[in-house]
Amino acid sequence: MRYRSQSIAYWYFAVAMCLFGLQLVFGLLSATKYLGPDPLLNFLPFDKTKAIHTNLLIVWVLTGFMGATYYMVPEESRSEIYSVKLAYIQLVAWTLMGVTTVVGYMFGWTAGNKMLEQPFPLKIVIVIVMLMFLYNILMTIKRAGRWTVTEGVLVAGLAFAAILYLPALIEYENYTVSIFYRWWTIHLWVEGVWEMIQGGLLAYLLIRLSGADREVMEKWLYVIVGLVFMAGILGTAHHYYWVGVPHYWLPIGVFFSALEPVALLGMAMYAYFAMRRAGFSHPNSLAVHWTIGSTVFTVFGAGLLGFAHTWPSVNKWTHGTLITAMHGHGAFYGAYAMTVLAMISYILPHLTSDRKVEGNSIGYWAFWMQVMGMFGMTLSFGTAGIGQVYLERILGLGYLDTQLKLQVHFLMLIATASVFATGAALFIWNFFRTAPRSVAAIDSSTSAPDLAPAGHANSAASG
Amino acid sequence: MTKRQGRLFFIICTLISATVFIGLTFDSHRRFPGLTNEDKLTPEIIRGKDVWHNNNCINCHTLLGEGGYYAPDLTKITQQRGTPYLTAFLKDPSQFYSEEKHRRLMPNPKLSDAEISEVIAFLDWVGHIDNQGWPPRPIIVSGTTIPGTDVGQPPTHASVSTDPVAQGEALFRSSPPACNACHSIASGVNLAGPTLAGLATRAAAIIASPEYKGEAKTPVDYIRESITHPSAYLVPGATYSANNQSFMPDNFAADLEPQQIDSLVAYLETLK
Repeated sequence: MRYRSQSIAYWYFAVAMCLFGLQLVFGLLSATKYLGPDPLLNFLPFDKTKAIHTNLLIVWVLTGFMGATYYMVPEESRSEIYSVKLAYIQLVAWTLMGVTTVVGYMFGWTAGNKMLEQPFPLKIVIVIVMLMFLYNILMTIKRAGRWTVTEGVLVAGLAFAAILYLPALIEYENYTVSIFYRWWTIHLWVEGVWEMIQGGLLAYLLIRLSGADREVMEKWLYVIVGLVFMAGILGTAHHYYWVGVPHYWLPIGVFFSALEPVALLGMAMYAYFAMRRAGFSHPNSLAVHWTIGSTVFTVFGAGLLGFAHTWPSVNKWTHGTLITAMHGHGAFYGAYAMTVLAMISYILPHLTSDRKVEGNSIGYWAFWMQVMGMFGMTLSFGTAGIGQVYLERILGLGYLDTQLKLQVHFLMLIATASVFATGAALFIWNFFRTAPRSVAAIDSSTSAPDLAPAGHANSAASG
Repeated sequence: MTKRQGRLFFIICTLISATVFIGLTFDSHRRFPGLTNEDKLTPEIIRGKDVWHNNNCINCHTLLGEGGYYAPDLTKITQQRGTPYLTAFLKDPSQFYSEEKHRRLMPNPKLSDAEISEVIAFLDWVGHIDNQGWPPRPIIVSGTTIPGTDVGQPPTHASVSTDPVAQGEALFRSSPPACNACHSIASGVNLAGPTLAGLATRAAAIIASPEYKGEAKTPVDYIRESITHPSAYLVPGATYSANNQSFMPDNFAADLEPQQIDSLVAYLETLK
């Protein structure tokens, strides 16, 4: 850690880890409700646990993005953060907002719009916090008078994420119009600007981990983000099937959804070739695992599993079944959860004391258990979804009777989710295992191998 | 390729996509009123949408296929279940489904009478949105139609046959709402409505019983009366009727042509 204010990142990551753990508690709780009967039916029914599960995901991933940004921007712009105090005020406001949202859901305080359930006053808090964050980051860059493409892509992604939240503030009388703009926030986040953020973080990690040439990495970063936007913006159309919008969105959805895996594959190749050039020799091989793992899982979860049901002739049968849950879990985990966990794995040795750069065995157990667990979960949802499509949609068995026939898949879901949750618990425990570095220790800690000039990471690591 | 060209690629891709997307958004707005019957969007329906949102319905159910995947899709529910049924259901879902049997149950949403009628009006409005004919076959809530019925077979063979029984059978699967969304013709398979297996045989027994207060004298008359005046005789069962009113929609006398009712009766009369 070269700059004192980078230690802000630790506290953002700490909050993110707590919320991640809580997200899994509510996820497991939701999963057991598939087996039923539900002893919590009248206090905490499925609709509440599911809303909390998905909202915590969004909040912790965004917290992780912000923490990663607070770590990365000082290094890229070679300056302390503009206002450390503002960063902490922002974190407190953000955390309070998150906790209030969750508690509010438990007591039925909800806007009831999928993924955008936050009640209006809390939506305003979210906007204010995002503005505080962007102000702090932009002032840091302005004061430093220096910016890189990598951080530019990251910060632009975060700024667009804030802008795209604005349509969610408006109440629409027409339900179809409400759906139309809900996807402006959710889809354009997940398959647009969040991928831009992912690209920025990935480029930063690859430059640091592989010592690849910055000029080359940033050139390809532009190309990848260009591909992501070309496919992602018009790819919104695949959410406009069967919801009361004009028919021309169907062919547009097919064409641009087909391009999305190409962009994601591009991102994975980008990571792979950068790493191959450097010979995978960075001492923090745990961070390398998470970085490469994230791009591979993104191709699988977001790319392939998404593409599997994006064709309208397929989607008309699978729309609104557990097939969507299969894709949702694989995509969010691979693209976003794993990107944040990669950033944390890379940064943590710099932010905490008594921690080996190369990671420990708990770290690898955490990685493999999560990856295998999530793979099993997508298979469980996928097989359940296929069964559902055939029994309910094609043969005409009633919804409730079909769900009874899927019990074995729900058992498999809980088993694999338990493996995943154990891996996540190990990651969280490993995170909190050692204390953050005190301020006095920061100045003497600038000898991290990957801060050597680009291209010399190998010699620094071995030396 | 240079970094500058990479940047140019990014800017051009983004601008073209964004421009096309925004252009299509404007065109979609031009088309929304027609596709969604915006002229029928009354304050009651909008309040119904608020009831839908305030009760977080979407995190279990799906509507237009979007939602929680934990409870049935409600896009066409008002075309499968009449208002009296839905009203009674929303007052106390546990009367209709058993958590022991189905392993999940809708918690009582504790809605007022006004909220119930508003949310039903909202669901009815959603059910008439032009959404490219989705779902391709009816998604039914519970029960099995296997074996015995073939839910969702397109009603095409009605037009190729002039046989009233064949036409009646096609109507059974298609008349708005489709009869087979609630009635199976398999013995012992009761869906939202009682099974119609052996209907013609049972009709004779019903007419002869002292509980029968209707005007039918023959099984054929009874079947016709059940279609046009569903409350004339109430099949016992708390999930079929309440307050002397059947949950079956009573729109058939008005919405079907007399000749269509004749065909339906002709078909149902064959279920012995």
